[in-house]
Amino acid sequence: MRWSELRRNVGDALHGLFYFRYEQDLRAEAIELNDLFLLMCYMEMVGLPNPVTLYLLEVYPHLLSEFHLWHRRMGVDHSPLAQIRCC
Amino acid sequence: MLLADNRKAARRLLEKRILFFGGKGGVGKTTCAAAVALAASREGRRVLLVSTDPAHSTSDIFERQFTREEREILPNLFGLEIDADFEASRYIAEVKEQVSKMFSPSMVGAASRQIDLAAAMPGVGDVALFDRLTTIISARNSAYDLVIFDTAPTGHTVRLLQMPEMLRAWIDALAAQRRRAVERDADSRGDDGGEDQPDPIVSALERRRQRLDEVRARLVEHRDTSFVLVLIPERLPIEETSRAAGTLAEAGIEIGAIVVNRVLPDGLSGEFYAARRRQEDIYRREIDHRFKTMDRIVIAQLESDVYGLNRLERISAQIIG
Repeated sequence: MRWSELRRNVGDALHGLFYFRYEQDLRAEAIELNDLFLLMCYMEMVGLPNPVTLYLLEVYPHLLSEFHLWHRRMGVDHSPLAQIRCC
Repeated sequence: MLLADNRKAARRLLEKRILFFGGKGGVGKTTCAAAVALAASREGRRVLLVSTDPAHSTSDIFERQFTREEREILPNLFGLEIDADFEASRYIAEVKEQVSKMFSPSMVGAASRQIDLAAAMPGVGDVALFDRLTTIISARNSAYDLVIFDTAPTGHTVRLLQMPEMLRAWIDALAAQRRRAVERDADSRGDDGGEDQPDPIVSALERRRQRLDEVRARLVEHRDTSFVLVLIPERLPIEETSRAAGTLAEAGIEIGAIVVNRVLPDGLSGEFYAARRRQEDIYRREIDHRFKTMDRIVIAQLESDVYGLNRLERISAQIIG
């Protein structure tokens, strides 16, 4: 292996490592942000009134799949809420 | 009584396209709204009189049945008594239909249950009522020259008018949160954005917001829209009307006129009358003082309560002449 090749490989590896960590952080942040969004949509289930409930009806089917991903992430196989039957 | 002043103020009101009548319970909001609607329709304008008060009384005053759908009550005068429950169920039926077009049957089943549950939440009726109001207000090329809203007692109505502001704040917050999450998610997958599909949730929320903005634009600082506050010369209505005027001003909603309803007629005699009159004069001076910057319309009491076309016409005559 030539010196320049080695240098490039090490560079790539560091680059990959750095970006892997970076993307992981971003993904975690994205998940956290979306969980907060879900909470805002389903506030009423934790007893906080949400005046736009009626307008959110239009997006509920989209939210359903998000909710499914959330409870899987939380390590619950089936929907923990009787009101929301996503699976 | 200065009929000329009434007439001038009423003329200015009739130049508007949307009028709200509000005030404390029992001061004669419906009577005044109905009298103005009747007068305008007699002048050949197409008028829609909408009652948003859950306890409707427009049917009683006209002695003709108003319904939850618009219908012609008298020539050129159309009536509508909004039924919040009916509007909520209609809205929900529409949403379900949309959903069934966009998603797989299994998703639709799950979503339907969710939608039914959400529909039973408190406050949904108010939003549905507001949604119907929105449709009437923002209808471009409206079929009517003048839409008059006979509203519920002040508190309810002020809340209704503040709704676009409040809902908008909520929708903005939701959309911003969702957008942040979606962007972060795209970053984490190395997408540089650009060519991908817009997020359906953000799009739906933005459509909503646009509609709210349209309504807000028609309600606030709009020369076609005005609010009429009705009161009677008594302590409690004066206080409540002052507060309502303050709230409306804060919300940027124009007050077209103050209607001083049910004042004692001139030219009566007797000790009882004289005593009432003295008391009333104090309150009327108070009203003149507090609302001096606004047009005032003064309506004298009739010898009987107001229902039926004949008596309504007599009130109309006092306002418009």
